[in-house]
Parts: sequence; structure tokens; C-alpha cells
Amino acid sequence: MKHENDNQWLDLLLAQHIQHEPEQLDFEKWAEKHPEEARLLRCGFEYSSRSMKTKPYLIWRFIMESKVTRYSAAAVIVLAMTLVLLSPFGTPGNGGVVLADVQKKVAGIETMILRGTKTFTYPGEPDRIFEFDGIKCKFDLVKYHSTRYGLVEEGYAEGKLFYRITFNIPEEQTLILFPKYNKYLKFASMDALAKLMENFATPNGILNLLLAGDCEKLGRDKIDGIEVEAFEFQDTEPFEPFKELLPKAVFNIKNFKAKVWIGIKEQLPVRVEGDLAIGKSFMTMFQDLNLHEVNTFGEYNVELDKDIFDTNPPEGYTELTLSDILKVIPAEAKAGLAGLGIIPAGLIFWKRRRKRAATNTD
Amino acid sequence: MRDLEDQILVQRALQSDPESFGKLCRRYYDTLVAIANSILPDHHLAEDAAQEALASACRDLAKLKRPERFGPWVGAICRNVAKDMLRQFRKQQEPVGTDAGNDPDCEEKDEREAILDQALQQLPQHLREVIFLRYYNEMSYEQMTKVLGATEQTIDGRLRRAKKKIAAYLKKKGFRR
Repeated sequence: MKHENDNQWLDLLLAQHIQHEPEQLDFEKWAEKHPEEARLLRCGFEYSSRSMKTKPYLIWRFIMESKVTRYSAAAVIVLAMTLVLLSPFGTPGNGGVVLADVQKKVAGIETMILRGTKTFTYPGEPDRIFEFDGIKCKFDLVKYHSTRYGLVEEGYAEGKLFYRITFNIPEEQTLILFPKYNKYLKFASMDALAKLMENFATPNGILNLLLAGDCEKLGRDKIDGIEVEAFEFQDTEPFEPFKELLPKAVFNIKNFKAKVWIGIKEQLPVRVEGDLAIGKSFMTMFQDLNLHEVNTFGEYNVELDKDIFDTNPPEGYTELTLSDILKVIPAEAKAGLAGLGIIPAGLIFWKRRRKRAATNTD
Repeated sequence: MRDLEDQILVQRALQSDPESFGKLCRRYYDTLVAIANSILPDHHLAEDAAQEALASACRDLAKLKRPERFGPWVGAICRNVAKDMLRQFRKQQEPVGTDAGNDPDCEEKDEREAILDQALQQLPQHLREVIFLRYYNEMSYEQMTKVLGATEQTIDGRLRRAKKKIAAYLKKKGFRR
């Protein structure tokens, strides 16, 4: 700048000593070296930082070693997905032009990213969010779907990743992570469940299932400036496979209703809202609860890295065990579990008696 | 103008536009390498630090309250990353390096280079940083203001003081021009 340079010799010396050719960053390589960050850039930040809540802490928290509960957990995940993907397509008989075109378009979808929220509330009290272990069961969601690789659902509570579920279709493996506790649960997606997941995790499979549903046209609307046509579904028929797989005591679906908004120009779903009434069962810790899920569609046929669907537990994680779960669940839930034969009833009463005895001594 | 561009790029990056973040990265990368190199003894480590700083900035981008201040913000992140790396580097060097004494690289450098290195090392960090920014890549004062968040006058003052100290050190060591 303005100052007289009385140290020209020093300028030269320093330039010779320090100067380098201008550095060029290869952003593509950088993105390859930092896949998580690259994914964040592709998929958006709002969900990484926004304060939020969401999903059934309870559900994932209660997953146990028992096959029944593992099935249940997986089924709930599939169910969550179903709420989003199932609904947009009605019966052919109902078939407006829109739905027919949507069906065609959906058949061509290979990957998609969805965002939304999932909230568990008490029946008749939409503002009272179900809490478990101090966590409000309201989560912000990001879901990745790939026809080829499977499904990932990430649930964020208060800005932090609370759970991550991965269904890997080719490997037939399911991995559930709880980063807060450094715990994981991994199991093979087998038998009827595997078949079910495959149906629900692929757009074509979903389409076939949807054709069994029934829907009502609600008329036109606008969402974020996009002209849409709204449909309402009120049918539990698509959930029949779950009902067959899971006893009512584990997961009791009482009622299902969903609204879907389809972009008229794009002929693709823009938004889905689903409400599911769940009766007293293991998955709701033996309480009646409502699940409200909102999903916004935005990214179709985006490039999804294969590694997103990796089912290897991260370093430092240990497997979630029955004893981890028993520490935190309420007594009535334990009693319910005993009723299901997952844990011996004697264990619960023995522990209660010990607790009471200790209190008396004090 | 550049602030405004940064602001727009940050906002776009937050709306799932990776290329906007790519532009920010390319815009600041060489500056970040210079900042890191003013702290770290090795050029390759400095490049790693700059890339890690960009990754960290990416993760925390949504927390940036003033997007027009992206430059100083990412510069500060880079400084911290480089300092952490320096601590790790020293830890790794300790067991091997205790009997060797000085940085082995110094032995290979000629005496003049070594004295110049020492002259730079004896500067406080904020003065060494302006020297690196200025001479590493012939950065203008205006460019430096964007990443340091300081005025041109401040930067000019720091440069003057830094060069004065270097010159004094070299003189003391009998360095011939």
C-alpha cells in the first residue's frame, strides 16, 4: 500500500523463501475425500442444524434381541416409508389422468431423497408429544431410497442425528444405529420381512401395493408455488402384510389416513401427510398413540453413493442388548413384554421386590 | 462486492447447491493454505489443514450467522485446524526427535534458509500470518482484508512491524543481503 518500501531486499528474500505457485483445489476430489460433507451439500443443511425432534425414540429404543421385536422394528421402518411412498397412487379405477401419468413416472424413479417430520402424540391431544426417556418423540427426517441399494432413514432430534436405519437390499442386511449411545442393531432381512421390504423399498413394488388401495380426489391447491392436486387415502389394506407378520400385541395398526399432493405439471408427488392410529402394543410402550408424518418430495433420480447404504457398524459402536433396553423402559412396558413372552415375568417381579425391599430397609 | 458474492454463494450452498460451495472453496483455498503454512512446518500438512478446514466449514455452514463474513470465518477455522495439527505433529515428532534436536529439514537447508526460517518463527502468529499471506501468493491488501477481517491500515501496520522484526533478527544473526 502506501508505505515506502525501505526493505526491498527483504521483500525479494521473503518472496523467494515463501512463495508458492497458486494452489488449485480440485473440488471433485475434495468431495470424494469428504463424503459426509458432500452429502450434506447435496441434500441440504436445514435438517442438520434446525432445532427439532421426531420419531419414536421409543420404537428404536425398544428393539431387542428377540426375533419378534426385530421384526417389529424393521416393520415400523417399512411402515414409515410406506406412509410416504404408498399413498400417492390410487386405484386404477379412480384413475384421473394425473394418477395414470404419475404411475408411469414413478416406475422410472430409481433414487429419491425425502425430508419431513415424524411425530408421536396422544390421541385427542395433538400438541402433547409422547416422551420417552426424556426425549420428545418428534424427529426431523431425511430418507434416501434407491431401487438398487435399498433405503436409509435418518432421524434427527434437536439437531443431532438420533437414529439411522439402513436396509441394504442386495446384502439383505438391516443396520440400526443410535449415535447418542454408540449402539447398533444388525440383523438379516429374512423371510417374509425381506420380501415385504423389497416390495416397499422399490418404486415398482410400491406401485403394485398401491393399486390395492383406495383414494378420494380432494381438488387443486398450491404448495410452495407449485400447483398440485390433492388426494386422500383412508385404508389399511396396504398394511395387511404387516398385520400378518406382526401380532397385534407388537404393533396394532388401528387406522390409517393420508393426504397426498401431486404436482400437476411434474406429475410427481410433492408432499405427503400421513396419520396412523396405533393401539396399545409393544411398539407404543402399551399406550394408544397417533403417528403424524409429513414428507416433502424434492429430489428424484439423484446420484446416491453406494456407501450411504453400508451396513457395517461404525467403529466404537457396540450392539444393543436386552439389558440396555430394560434399564430404561417403564414398568408397564416390562409387564407388557412379559405378556409377549419376550422376558420372563418373574424377572420383573423379582426386580420390583428387590427395589421395594431396599426402600423398606432405608 | 466479494462479500456480497460470498453471501450469495453461502445461501445457495445452504439450498443444496454444491457447486456454490465449490466456488467458495476454490476462492479461499490458496489463502487457507497460506494461513495453515504460517502455522505448520510442512506444505503438504498445510494443504491437508486447508481441506479439513473447508470440511469443517461445510459441516457448520448453517451456523454461520453472517454469510458475508465467510472469509474471516473459514480463516479462523483453518487457524484452529492448523494449530490442532501442529500439536499432533509435535507429539508424533517428540519420541523420534528428542535426540536429533532440531527439525531435520533444517540440516538440509543452507544456513541462510535456516536463519530465515528462524526469523519467521520468532514472529508472533498474527504477524507471521500476514507475511505468509502477502508473500505466499502475492496477495493484495484488499484480498487480505477479506480473510483477516481487518482494515488495510491494520494489515499494513502488521506487515511493517513483521518486516522490521525480521530485518532486526537477520541483522542480529549476521545475515548478509
